[in-house]
Amino acid sequence: MSNFFELLENRIGFSRIGRINLSKERKLYIRTPNVTIPIKNVLMKQFSFIQEFENHDLFIISKEIFLKIGFLREKFKNTGFIFSNPGTFEKYEKILRKNEEIFTKDNVLSIIPFNFPSTAIGIDFARREVRFYLSNATKILKTYSKINFGLSIRLYGYSELIHLYIPTIKEYENIKILNLVDLFDNFNNFRNIINILVEIKTQLDNNIVIMASGKIIPKYYPILVYLGIDLIDSSFLLYKSAENLYDTIEYFLPRYKVKYLPCSCVACKGNLKNLVSSRYSSEMLDLLCLHNLIVALNYMMKIKQYLRYEDYRGFVEKSSLDDIALISMLKILDKDYFNLIRFETPISQKNKKINCLGPSSYNRPDFREFRQRSVKSFEPEPWTTMIIVLPCSAKKPYSLSKSHKFFHSVLRKFREFANFQEIILTSPLGAIPRQLENVYPVNSYDISVTGDWDDAEKEITSEMLHQIVTKYNENIPIICHLEGDYLDIADIVNSKLPHNFYFTKVNGKVTSKESLKSLESLVKQHISDFRSLKPLPEGNYLSNTWIRKLIKILDYQFGEGSGLNIIRNELAPLKFNSNSQINLIDLISKEKIGVFKTLSGQICLTIQGLKRMVQSPFSIDSNIIVFDGQEIQGNNLFRQGILDFSSDLISNNYAIIIDKEKKEIIGTGKLIVGSNFIKNSKTGRIAEINEKK
Amino acid sequence: MKKNSITDDYKTKISEKIKSIRLRSLNKRKRISRKDLDRPVSFWIKKDRLVNEVGKELTIILRTKGCSWALGETGGCSMCGYVQDANIEEVNQNHIRNQIDFVLNNKIKEISEANENFVIKIFNSGSFFDENEISEETKQYIYEKVANIDNLKEFIIESRPEFIKSENLKELKDYLKGKYVEIAIGLETVNDYIRNYYINKGMTYEDFINVFKICKDNRMGVKAYLLLKPPFLNEAGAIDDCVNSIKNLVKLKVNTISINPLNIQRGTLAEYLWYNNKYRPPWFHSLFKVIKKSISQNDLLNVRLLSDPSGAGTKRGIHNCLKRECEKAAKRSLQKFVFSQELGTLDNNNFECECKRKYQLQKHLY
Repeated sequence: MSNFFELLENRIGFSRIGRINLSKERKLYIRTPNVTIPIKNVLMKQFSFIQEFENHDLFIISKEIFLKIGFLREKFKNTGFIFSNPGTFEKYEKILRKNEEIFTKDNVLSIIPFNFPSTAIGIDFARREVRFYLSNATKILKTYSKINFGLSIRLYGYSELIHLYIPTIKEYENIKILNLVDLFDNFNNFRNIINILVEIKTQLDNNIVIMASGKIIPKYYPILVYLGIDLIDSSFLLYKSAENLYDTIEYFLPRYKVKYLPCSCVACKGNLKNLVSSRYSSEMLDLLCLHNLIVALNYMMKIKQYLRYEDYRGFVEKSSLDDIALISMLKILDKDYFNLIRFETPISQKNKKINCLGPSSYNRPDFREFRQRSVKSFEPEPWTTMIIVLPCSAKKPYSLSKSHKFFHSVLRKFREFANFQEIILTSPLGAIPRQLENVYPVNSYDISVTGDWDDAEKEITSEMLHQIVTKYNENIPIICHLEGDYLDIADIVNSKLPHNFYFTKVNGKVTSKESLKSLESLVKQHISDFRSLKPLPEGNYLSNTWIRKLIKILDYQFGEGSGLNIIRNELAPLKFNSNSQINLIDLISKEKIGVFKTLSGQICLTIQGLKRMVQSPFSIDSNIIVFDGQEIQGNNLFRQGILDFSSDLISNNYAIIIDKEKKEIIGTGKLIVGSNFIKNSKTGRIAEINEKK
Repeated sequence: MKKNSITDDYKTKISEKIKSIRLRSLNKRKRISRKDLDRPVSFWIKKDRLVNEVGKELTIILRTKGCSWALGETGGCSMCGYVQDANIEEVNQNHIRNQIDFVLNNKIKEISEANENFVIKIFNSGSFFDENEISEETKQYIYEKVANIDNLKEFIIESRPEFIKSENLKELKDYLKGKYVEIAIGLETVNDYIRNYYINKGMTYEDFINVFKICKDNRMGVKAYLLLKPPFLNEAGAIDDCVNSIKNLVKLKVNTISINPLNIQRGTLAEYLWYNNKYRPPWFHSLFKVIKKSISQNDLLNVRLLSDPSGAGTKRGIHNCLKRECEKAAKRSLQKFVFSQELGTLDNNNFECECKRKYQLQKHLY
């Protein structure tokens, strides 16, 4: 029997792509995130409804009659159903008893309802109601232990009540879905919302599917998915439709205001345009429902598309910018929950353009991860004699840009070029050592450049520059070839550090002849100011620009010092193959130690490469998974096969898999999930195996 | 009344809220003039369904000290504001007798001259058998007055179960020989949890059944009031609950079931929730659904199903879309059913409002 939920990929924030299997008897997968479409008698009478949604894969039903109707199985084949009865608990129990076989065998999952009280008058009242619900739900879960259920979670605005639910959820393995009934009714309580979701993520099995229902409109879907919601109930749109409201995603327009139907769905193309301005009628309401549900479904399609193939965070920001509560929620997540969310967010995204929209983007988790990791792992090359601070370029990696080619035309004239540490200032990422220019997100971000930096951008960049420069001897000269607001950043750092900052004379642009001349003469002037105690012998393999990069990328991925341990000798000539990858082969031992992948900016190490980095007996401080055995079978590593793991695992990074006795590296794999998921799950795919012994 | 574990901890929960709302409202209440103490809160004659025929009702709402449950520590029921009509401090038994006299002096001629039979309903918005509200002597006074009116065929009073004792019933029966007597009890629902936690009724279904048996032993009819859509329930839950209650009561063979859709009364928790957009009185569509789903025409041969909603068609009472035509049609349909006890009348409505679709789309959600 397959698992109920399978996590396929983590995405930025808490967002994730997965699949659920509602059927016990066959493999009928339903992709998540997804939207559940309500089936009601009044909707089923419309031919267009059936036509529009017959290919949709998940519906929510509330009447017993739909558990029996033959045509439903025939018409909506390959479809999953969630049964959610809106009435009393007694009625629900009767339905369950009567339809036990259907719930056991068929592709229907029932949510144990918590329909009332619909409101609470104080926390004591709410607490008692939650306890009462849980005592009823527990009876159901025990009696029907072979049936999977969804558990409703009602909090009445009191986030602390989540603690009442947790023991029950942990105890009953047949709880497969948590249906958050009223958590999203008021987005102004964004702190509560975040607290609850964090509690769920950190306390409960991460294979439990999270469903959101209640007063949810499509505008909220992107942020909900970002928050890790797998299923969204669209039933509230029926309520909105009945209130004569027409959804355009951005707004709910009262029917009388709709002059131009900005949609070409079957309802809008049909009779809705004639009816919106006429008297209230059932037909108009039916078409409004149809339109609003189609909008919800299409928006979810868009979300799925962007989640998979685009920078999803950018989309979430764009769709949240006009809502103060939503944008505040993003900011709080970025600021206060980074230490959790960093283990949920992949370390790299392939082939995606990251557009920074403004302050909302500055502290996105992948950016913060980059800043924190690069500063922590960056160790100055001991032979460095000069730091050169440069502005960024629109083209990535910077070296390929016209401006940086100009800078290099000057800097490469010096035979000491390998002794220069270039640092590129950029918003909103910060101060980037040249060696990391190919790493995500440096290789893919973009921001509108006007030359004006706001205070936050200056603070982020100056702070990072400060942290990097502090690592160097204070006598090392720092040449700044900058203009405009970039200079403010260098000034801020200059004012705080004892190091000597020298500024080129920029005439016009930084790339003008005069400016470049000034750069050249300033470098010449200070080239002998500082002598390294560990100079690099001429012709040493470490002076190669790409080797310098690869070493720092390895440090970035696996921690300070890893690069030099792995790349101990000259490498065979570095050549890009057809997949934009570079094979890293030790020229002396002829061993293949890894592959650099341009698209992700990451190095995938071979077992040979890993052996150079870590020594037996292994400590599991970093990047390690201890496998419950001596030999890995198959191409995937599953949770059940893991004995222990490091707490710093991040999805899309590479992990070292060692044997049970911690004596031998037995494989390497690309992580699908991070440490938090592994900690809070009993099943699921953890890594794709790249190489095994 | 038997102590029930469900109600043990109500003090810390709902009752405090009910009590504080009620007290606030009672403090704002206008003082009743001395003259009004000798007059009932209200009285009227109108067409009504009797046990076996259509006749007329004389309803008298007495002004007494008020319901002891509402005035007690518990704060009373979450939807009931009738205590606002009572006069806690000043009303005495003489006043109550004067109120009866006032009504009969006014209406006796109309009753005596009418061709139809009458049912007299004496309500005191509390418990008729509660000595604190109506004394033994006053009760006997009332019985004597009523016993002498020939075409008053049915006599209905209401009481909480804890005040209904076999000796009370025997005495009543002795006075009103030849008249059909029905004791009305506010059961509200057969679900103990809803009754005690959301309505704060402070009684169990078992209490009701015990009293039902006492009434049956004394050959008296029992009328059960059911509350349609208690506070905290959604529309779909309210329908399920009421249907379930009716089915149970039909099985029990109560004589009359009266469905009271909740109406928003002053100084109640229900009013507080309503003001805060956390409660909407039920739809007429729900009431009709309840009736159709819960009872068969055959059942109606043995049980009388009534409903005479207060504030019907207004925003505080049961209503649909508040369009005059729609509300009028609904009230008409309901009345037709109540008089005829024919389920078919609920479908023979010439007017079906477009708001039904709105109801169908929204009822599952709130």
